[in-house]
Amino acid sequence: MDASSFRRHLSFALPAALLALVAVSQPLSAADPGKVIRHAFPAAETGFDPAGAQDLYSAQIEQVIFETLLSYDYLARPAKLVPLTAEALPQVTDDGKTYTLKIRKGIYFTPDPAFNGKKRELVAEDFVYTLKRLIDPKLRSPWAWLVEDKIVGLDELAEAAKKGAKFAYDKKIPGLEAVDRYTLRIRLKQTDFNLPFVLAHEPTSAVAREVIEKYADESGRAMSNPVGTGPFVLKDWVRASKIILEANPGYRGFVWDFKPGSDPEDKRLIAEMKGKKMPQVGRVEISIIEEDQARLLAFEKGEIDIMNMEAPLAPNVLDGDKLKPAFAKRGVKLSRFVDPEITYHYWNMQDPVVGGLTKEKIALRRAMAMAFSVEEEIRIVRNGQAVEAQYPIPPGVVGHDASYRTSVKYDPVAANALLDRFGYKKGADGFRTLPDGKPLVVKYTSRPDTLGRQQDELWAKAFALLGIRMEVQKLRFPDQIKAEKECKIMMRTASWIADYPDADNFMQLLHSKNIHQNNNACATIPEYDKLYEQTIRLPASSPERDKLYHEMAKIIETYAPWRLDISRYRNQIVQPQVLGYKKHPILHSEWQYIDVRTGSGGSGGDAGTGEGH
Amino acid sequence: MYAYIIRRLWQMIPTILGVIVLVFILFNWVGGDPAYVLAGKISSAEQIANIRKQLGVDQPYYVQLWIFIKQVLTVDFGASWSTNETVSHILATRLGPSLTLLIPWLILSTLISIGLALAVAYVRGSLTDRAVMISCTVGLSISILVYIIVFQYVFAYKLGWFPVQGWGDSFRENLLLYSSLPILILLVVSIAPDLRLFRTFVLDEINQDYVRTGRAKGLSENRIMWLHVLRNASIPIITHVMAQLPGLLIGAFLVERFFSIPGIGREVILAVERSDFPVIKAITVYVAVATMVFNLLADLMYKAVDPRVQLK
Repeated sequence: MDASSFRRHLSFALPAALLALVAVSQPLSAADPGKVIRHAFPAAETGFDPAGAQDLYSAQIEQVIFETLLSYDYLARPAKLVPLTAEALPQVTDDGKTYTLKIRKGIYFTPDPAFNGKKRELVAEDFVYTLKRLIDPKLRSPWAWLVEDKIVGLDELAEAAKKGAKFAYDKKIPGLEAVDRYTLRIRLKQTDFNLPFVLAHEPTSAVAREVIEKYADESGRAMSNPVGTGPFVLKDWVRASKIILEANPGYRGFVWDFKPGSDPEDKRLIAEMKGKKMPQVGRVEISIIEEDQARLLAFEKGEIDIMNMEAPLAPNVLDGDKLKPAFAKRGVKLSRFVDPEITYHYWNMQDPVVGGLTKEKIALRRAMAMAFSVEEEIRIVRNGQAVEAQYPIPPGVVGHDASYRTSVKYDPVAANALLDRFGYKKGADGFRTLPDGKPLVVKYTSRPDTLGRQQDELWAKAFALLGIRMEVQKLRFPDQIKAEKECKIMMRTASWIADYPDADNFMQLLHSKNIHQNNNACATIPEYDKLYEQTIRLPASSPERDKLYHEMAKIIETYAPWRLDISRYRNQIVQPQVLGYKKHPILHSEWQYIDVRTGSGGSGGDAGTGEGH
Repeated sequence: MYAYIIRRLWQMIPTILGVIVLVFILFNWVGGDPAYVLAGKISSAEQIANIRKQLGVDQPYYVQLWIFIKQVLTVDFGASWSTNETVSHILATRLGPSLTLLIPWLILSTLISIGLALAVAYVRGSLTDRAVMISCTVGLSISILVYIIVFQYVFAYKLGWFPVQGWGDSFRENLLLYSSLPILILLVVSIAPDLRLFRTFVLDEINQDYVRTGRAKGLSENRIMWLHVLRNASIPIITHVMAQLPGLLIGAFLVERFFSIPGIGREVILAVERSDFPVIKAITVYVAVATMVFNLLADLMYKAVDPRVQLK
C-alpha cells in the first residue's frame, strides 16, 4: 500500500472508527433519568435471589432485574406466552416430553466485579445452572416444586446432595442439556404441557454462576446482590423501607408494539405508547408503606404514582367499580380486573365428623355449603371488591369457563331439609346431633386478624341457620399451615393465586397425590383423581381437557370437599402522568412497559417520543 | 463505687439467663414452626424436614437452648430466617433511624415536661394549673393511634407542612423533614403523663422545710425552683426517664410503621409477623440488657445529683 492509498484508507477509516466509538459510548437504553415512577408496597420485601425469595414484593423487583426464557404479552388477555430471552417459544417434541429453546444472542448481564471486567453473555448453561439451583437442598428453595420430579436426572442430583455430598452442578444430566452455547434442551420424565409456564415464572430467571458463588451466603442464596440481564438494576436498597431501581444502560430494549385486546382501555394505551423504545422510565422508587392510611394519603398528596387499592381502602376511592368523581376529575386512572385466584372454604375429608365419602357426610358438607352466603361476604367483608367464584378455574386462567354456573346456591331451607333427611336431628337445645346421636360440633379455623374475625361471624351465622354447634380455633399463619399439612384442620377458608395461568395450577389442589402438600382438604376422590390424571396429558386449551375440567367441577360440587367462595378484584390506581399502565394478571411488574409525562408539556405523552433516544 | 458496679454487673447474669429461658419458652410455645412458612406454597414433608434441620429447630430443646446461650455470649445471633440478612446488620441499620427519632424526642419531652411541671407546680391550685391538668387528663385519655391518624391527615396531608411518610438518605433530611411530625406526635403523647408525674414530684419538694428556709434567706424564686427544688425532684425524674429508655426503641413501632421509618420497632413487628426467631431473640436480649444497664446508670446518676445517696 502506497502513502496516498494509506491516507485515502485512513480518511475513510478514521471517521468510521470515530462513529463506531460514539455509537459504543452511547447508552443502549432509551430510558430518561428524569422519568421517575414512585411505587408503594404494602409489605416488606425479603431479598432478590429468584430461587430464594417467595414473596410477591421481592418477585416484583426480581422480574425487572432478571429475565426468564419466556414471558407474557403485556396486553393479551387471557395471558399469552411470548419469548423473552428465548428466540421463540419452545419447540416441543416427544409428545410433550422434550423442549428445545434457542437463546437470543447478544444478551449481557449487567457488569459486576464477579465477571472480572469482562462482558458476560447470557448462554444456555446459565439456564442449566439456574434450574439445577432450584432443587439444591442447601438452598431450601421454596420453588423446588417447579422442577421436582419432572426433569430427567435432576432428582438424582438432589438425592446425592441430601446424603452429604456437595450438589454436583457440573455433572451432566440428560434432562438439562446445553446443546450448544445458545441451545437449551429440557427432557421431562413425563408429558407436561405446562413447562413453558414454568419457564416464564421468575424463580427460573437466569442467574450467573460467578455472581452466586461470589455473593452467596451460608445457605447458597445471594439475596442482596441481584445481577441480571433485565431492564433495571438495583441502585439502592434500605431493607423493608426503600428500593431504588435505575434503568439498565446496557439493556437491549424493545419497541412498544403490543396489540389491543377486547378491553376498550387498550386503545388509549396504544395511543400513549405505540412505537416508543422501552424502557422509558429511568428510575423507580419503591417505598414500603404498611399502613393503609399512610399509603392512601401519600398517593392523594402525589408522593407515590402507583398503588394497589386493597378491599379495606376501596370505599375511599371507588364507587362500586368506578373511581369516585374527585379522583376521576383529577385524571387518576384505575386498572381493575378479577385476580387469577380463588378463595374457597374446605372441609377436611379425613376428619371423622365432616370428612368421608358416605352419603350422610356428603349431605352434611353440602348443607354447610348451601347455608353460607357468598353475597354477604362480598358486600360486607370484601366491600364489593370480589365476584362469586362459579368455577374452580378463575378468570384470566387458561381453562376458565365464564359461562359455567355452579349448582351450589345459598339456600338455608334446602340445607336444613338435607340435614333432616340424613338423620342430623335437632335436640331440645336447638342444636343438631350426628346420625348416631353423638354431638355435632364443627371447628372452624381462622387467623387472629380482622378478616379472620369477619369470616368467623359469617360462618357463625350460617351454622346458626342450620342449628350446628360451631367452635372457632384461632391459629397463627405458621401453625395453620402446619396443622393443614398434617390434615388436622376440620374446616378453613383458603385462597390460591395462580403461579402460572393454566387450569392445572388450580385443579391439582384436590389431587390425592398432593395431600400433605397443597391438597388442604386432604381429599381422596377416586373419580376426580382419574380425570385429573387424564388432563395432565392433554395440551392447554384443548376441548378434551376443558370437558374433563367440567366433569371435575361437577365432582367438587357433588362431594363438596370445597365450597367455592370468591375471586377478588385487583384495583390499581395510578396518577394522571403515568402512561401506558395496565396491571397484568400474572406479571408482577409493569415498569418496563410504561412511561411518565414529565413537565407541563407532557413529553412522555407524545407517541413516538422514545424513538429519539 | 467500683465494687458496687461490679456487684450489679454480676447480678445481671442470672437476670439475663432468666430472660433467655423465658424468651425461649415463649417462642417455642406460641411462635410457630417457621419451616412451614419458609417452605413455600407447595412443599413436601421432606422439604420441611430439610428446612427444620438447616435452621436447627429439629434439635432437642436443650440443644437449641444451649445454642441460644452461646449466641448471647458471643453476641452473634446468626442470620434472619426470612431474609438471610445477619441479625447484627439488621440491628445496626435499624438503630440509626430509631435514635434519630427518639433522642431529640426524649430530650425535648424531658425538658418541656420539667419546665412545665415547675411552672404549674409553682402556681398550684390556680386556674392555669387546673386547666393544664385537665388538658393533660384529656390528652392521656386519647390513644396514640388517634394522634397519629389525625396529625398525619391534618398536618401532612391537608396542610402539607410535613411529608405524609418517608425516610431519606441524609441525617439532616431525616431529622428536619421526616422526623418532625413523628416527634411532634410523640411529644403530644408523652408530655401529658410526664407533666402530671413530674408536677407531683415537684409538689412533694415545694412543701419541704428547705424551700421555706431558702425563701426566708431571701433566695430568688427562680433559684429556689430551678436549683434546689429541681435537684431534689430529679431522682424520681431520672428513674422515670431511664426506665423508659430501653422500651422506647420498641415502643415507637406505631409511629415507625405509619411514617415508614425503618427503625427497630418496625423491625420487631416484621420479625413477629414472619416468626423470625433470630431477630426476635436478639432484640429481646438487647432490650433486657439495656434495661439493666440503664437501671445501673440511673443509680449512678442518683449519686451524682445527690451526694447523700449511698450506693451499697
